[in-house]
Amino acid sequence: MMPTTPVVETDDRQLVQTIREGDADAFETLVRRKTTKVYALCYRIIGNAEDAKDISQLVFLKLWENLEKYDPAYAFDTWLYRMVTNVAIDFMRNKQSRDNAVNSTLRLVKTEADAEQGVVVQRKEVENVFNDVSSVLSPKQKTIFIMNQMEDLPSAEIAKILGCRESTVRNHLFNARKAMQAQLQKRYPEYAQLWRSR
Amino acid sequence: MMTCEIFRSTFHADTENAALLGHLRTCDRCLDFAANVDPDVMFRALGGEDLVPPGGVELFVDDVMRQVRVRGAEKVATIQRPVSWMRRLAIAATLATAVTSGSLVYRHNSAIPSSMMTSIKRAPIAAHQIALVTKPIVETYESQSATIMEVPNEPNDDVKIVMIFDENLPADL
Repeated sequence: MMPTTPVVETDDRQLVQTIREGDADAFETLVRRKTTKVYALCYRIIGNAEDAKDISQLVFLKLWENLEKYDPAYAFDTWLYRMVTNVAIDFMRNKQSRDNAVNSTLRLVKTEADAEQGVVVQRKEVENVFNDVSSVLSPKQKTIFIMNQMEDLPSAEIAKILGCRESTVRNHLFNARKAMQAQLQKRYPEYAQLWRSR
Repeated sequence: MMTCEIFRSTFHADTENAALLGHLRTCDRCLDFAANVDPDVMFRALGGEDLVPPGGVELFVDDVMRQVRVRGAEKVATIQRPVSWMRRLAIAATLATAVTSGSLVYRHNSAIPSSMMTSIKRAPIAAHQIALVTKPIVETYESQSATIMEVPNEPNDDVKIVMIFDENLPADL
């Protein structure tokens, strides 16, 4: 989860100011501080460790080149997250056009014993299921769903990050949930009963 | 410390309690329980914690900083060789002049009648012919500084070919 506490924000702003004054070491500090957060979001959106690493590096290079454009009136993390989502969504769009069948071969193997025991959700299995059913979402829908469900960001914050209205975010969330439900019903009926229509 | 008992007694749908969500992400049994209460939490299990890129944070940071330095160096190299607008203008003017001149010369050559072109082409040949005017035949030649060589001739040929190498050779020879 991307922290948005005032103390951290103040530190980030000071750090950015130091970088703008020509201190390259301060940029290294900023990269070190934000790496795990940026990489986590990239990984959840892209679903592949190596691609997520490359995209995260690209994000930091863009950050370096565009730091002058940052307006300290806004939270630094919001600005950073906007950069991450823009780069990741672009990557996903290109990837979708290159390979529409991404993730389509993933299948969850469940034994009868598992079924008898009830649905005991294993983390890796959930990850596989998510990668599979989320492949039908648009890059933007997937990004919004991940930010809301996995990064615990409220709709208002997501709207700020993406530069859209909160109602748009809620629409995307609703549509994403519907689309994933349909996929879950089709591919993983044992999970679909859990994820009832709300 | 959040225990499974506390989690199950306090968890409810749509909760945004960080501690509850944190426990949800570490305990599969409670995730199973929570998914029955609020199906949306199922994929929440994937979120929460920050992730470390392959190779570790330090390697990642080193890679980023290396690329930043490379880009910085490229930027400096570009800045160190700036081309002022005056210089750009001069280059553009030179190029324009060269192209225009080339074009005019080409058009001019195309407009010249073929007969004139022939005479122009012949002029250097005529000059060359003048330079190759035959010198008068020398019957005898004597000089202290000359080296005279006789070229062997055909037995029936009565003309003797002689080569004379002399620094003081008269201009008319």
